[in-house]
Amino acid sequence: MNTHPYLRAYMAGIVAPTMMLLVVLSGFLIARYTFQIPIPIERAIVFPMAIVPNLFGAWNMFYLWLRPRRHLPIGFHGALLPFILAPAGFFLATCSGFLAATSSGLVWFHEVAIPYTLLAVVFCLALIAYYLVWKYLVGFFNAVLGIA
Amino acid sequence: MNEEDMSEQAMSEQEEKNLADLLKQSIAPVNRELDRDLWPQVLRRLDQRSADPTWFARTWFAQTWLARTWLASMFSAHALSSVPWFDWALLAALVVGVCVFPNSIPVWLYHF
Repeated sequence: MNTHPYLRAYMAGIVAPTMMLLVVLSGFLIARYTFQIPIPIERAIVFPMAIVPNLFGAWNMFYLWLRPRRHLPIGFHGALLPFILAPAGFFLATCSGFLAATSSGLVWFHEVAIPYTLLAVVFCLALIAYYLVWKYLVGFFNAVLGIA
Repeated sequence: MNEEDMSEQAMSEQEEKNLADLLKQSIAPVNRELDRDLWPQVLRRLDQRSADPTWFARTWFAQTWLARTWLASMFSAHALSSVPWFDWALLAALVVGVCVFPNSIPVWLYHF
């Protein structure tokens, strides 16, 4: 399997967030219809459905390109992704009108208020999550598709 | 058939015999019988598998196609034992963090 390595890297990259999309959509639906949180699903789902999987695939292609030049372990490579995803998600959510920045913190969906200190903790947890996901899930799919 | 012809025939028979001997020496004899009985080994392997299933192998989900192909190798005993303690600690920190701050779950859902 020596052909199309970048295509295989893209496919290996999008598997994890695409499977996670089912969880995300279920979570949004439960929050919307069970807990009555006014989440505009049709606008909120764009980022996890379109941007995140494609960015995972592109990031994995970048990992493959980068490997012979400046090798970084795949976990650390994946842990860098939130530094792109967080501002992109913030920008898109602000433009879509369901995220507002106040003096005390961020308010999501006009309902969920998260102070800035907690946001820093959440970001650190996101780094951990991305490190583990990339090291074990994306790394595994890379090995399955013969690009590990 | 004169004496010369008979001598040539004897020579060629002798050469053929020599050639056959050389071939027999150079090619190892094929052992048609196995050295040992492999069946006890197969039984031992099967017993080992059924006696020591991982927690994952005991679930109903482990019987599905997805589990038998991908997840079986991801969550095999060997794969789980090769995870360093540091990564287990990170996973524990992640789970504790999400449980302590459930408000952050919508943010997680949006950003993942």
